[in-house]
Amino acid sequence: MTSSSSLSASSSFPQSSTSSAVVAARKSIRLGQALTVLALVALAAHYVRAIQYTPIEATQGLAQKIFYVHVPAAWSAFLAFGILGVCSALFLWLHDRRLDLFAEASAEVGTVLTLIVLTTGPLWGKPIWGTWWQWEVRLTSTLFLFFLMVGYLTLRRSIFDPLERARYSAVVGILGAMLVPFIHLSVYMFRTIHPKPVILNPEGPTLPGSMLSTLLEGVAIMTVMYLGLVLVRYGIGRLQDEKEARHAAQG
Amino acid sequence: MLLRAEPPANGGFMVAAYALVAVVLVVYAVTLFVRARSLVGEVKE
Amino acid sequence: MAALVFAALILVIFNFARDPTVLRAQDLAPSALWVTITFASVTALNRAFAVELDHGALDGLLLAPVGREAIYLGKLLGNLLFTGLVQAITIPLFVLFFNLDLHGTLPAILLLAFLATVGFTAVGTVFSALTARVQFNELMLPVLLLPFMVPPLIGAAQVTSKLLAGRPLADSAGWLQILVTYDIVFLTLSVLVFPAVLDE
Repeated sequence: MTSSSSLSASSSFPQSSTSSAVVAARKSIRLGQALTVLALVALAAHYVRAIQYTPIEATQGLAQKIFYVHVPAAWSAFLAFGILGVCSALFLWLHDRRLDLFAEASAEVGTVLTLIVLTTGPLWGKPIWGTWWQWEVRLTSTLFLFFLMVGYLTLRRSIFDPLERARYSAVVGILGAMLVPFIHLSVYMFRTIHPKPVILNPEGPTLPGSMLSTLLEGVAIMTVMYLGLVLVRYGIGRLQDEKEARHAAQG
Repeated sequence: MLLRAEPPANGGFMVAAYALVAVVLVVYAVTLFVRARSLVGEVKE
Repeated sequence: MAALVFAALILVIFNFARDPTVLRAQDLAPSALWVTITFASVTALNRAFAVELDHGALDGLLLAPVGREAIYLGKLLGNLLFTGLVQAITIPLFVLFFNLDLHGTLPAILLLAFLATVGFTAVGTVFSALTARVQFNELMLPVLLLPFMVPPLIGAAQVTSKLLAGRPLADSAGWLQILVTYDIVFLTLSVLVFPAVLDE
């Protein structure tokens, strides 16, 4: 039996026909796995480049090189969150179940990336700034990203009906995505008025070419990493969704 | 005589950060791959 | 009523939690005021939909020939009135407890209070409807809403502290712009997404 209405939990939230969902999920997983492995290998190469072939910053020492993983991770975390926002908005408009599942995947991968930023940040901050934490724009915005993503995922866990869960998550997703620019702006304004002494400026007035290219390489790698992981996670989400729909149909 | 200052010896932080990133990403990827494998086996076309 | 007592208690705690020789009342006051208002508002919002849910009145509202947006605006106004009431009592208490000399800044502070409150109440009204039907809702609402209270809070506290230091409102133009933009953006978004929360 492959008619979608007999398998979906509620006929107002249809799924694509079951076998095409499984096929699509598997493709996503295979592609995602390939990209992830590629990204991990590239990351290893990136490490070598950052450690061995990029010059050491004279006043900051080796710890400055944390920059080459911290900033790319931050970029990917914000990308993940942006995509979550877009998928949420599109979902409320189009009601396509796949958008909801992709948003969920993006949130989970984004949370992992955010954790990376929030742990490498203090590891960088302590030697460079002298303090483990600073309420500066990037770290504070990322902290809020963390709160929002965890809130999003927690909300999802407390709703059992798929349609309701998708709708409510989308509402939180859109509002959350719009909040981030305001956090950024508020902290920036706060810092302009109450600047903390920054002992060393980690990024310098201009980044020398060799450092910039290493940084950009890191950003590219982390972007592919995000894509790989999110595609696998999305595939998992679709298979899980399909599995639940089949149980519901049998029950 | 002018002494050139050596950069501070803070490599330990770098090692910790790089290790952390690698470990987190690999562990997460492996977790996902394992879960994917089990679901692909379970949910047939 | 509980919200008011709560607010008063927080103010009292703030006063005793500081070292008066190190921190002047005037320096602590803006933070104390705004944190208090934040927590009291969250408490109020938690209850906002609970009553209707208990009595099944929400279903009745949905059946009424009234647009979803209108329901939102109605709830929003209700919440604003309630928070306004809490603030109407909290602000004088705060002037009293902290022995503040307002020197004519009261209208500015009230304007500020209004701007900040509209911002987070707009989002809070959506979230309170959303979490009303969710497990652990007493915890979910604050968890979801508190990040949204931060930009209005920062703005309000910063401007209050400038006002209390005797600076004219015009000095805080930047913060006021952020507050107003925040209000416009989130009011619009909230009106747009609210129907998704109510749909059956």
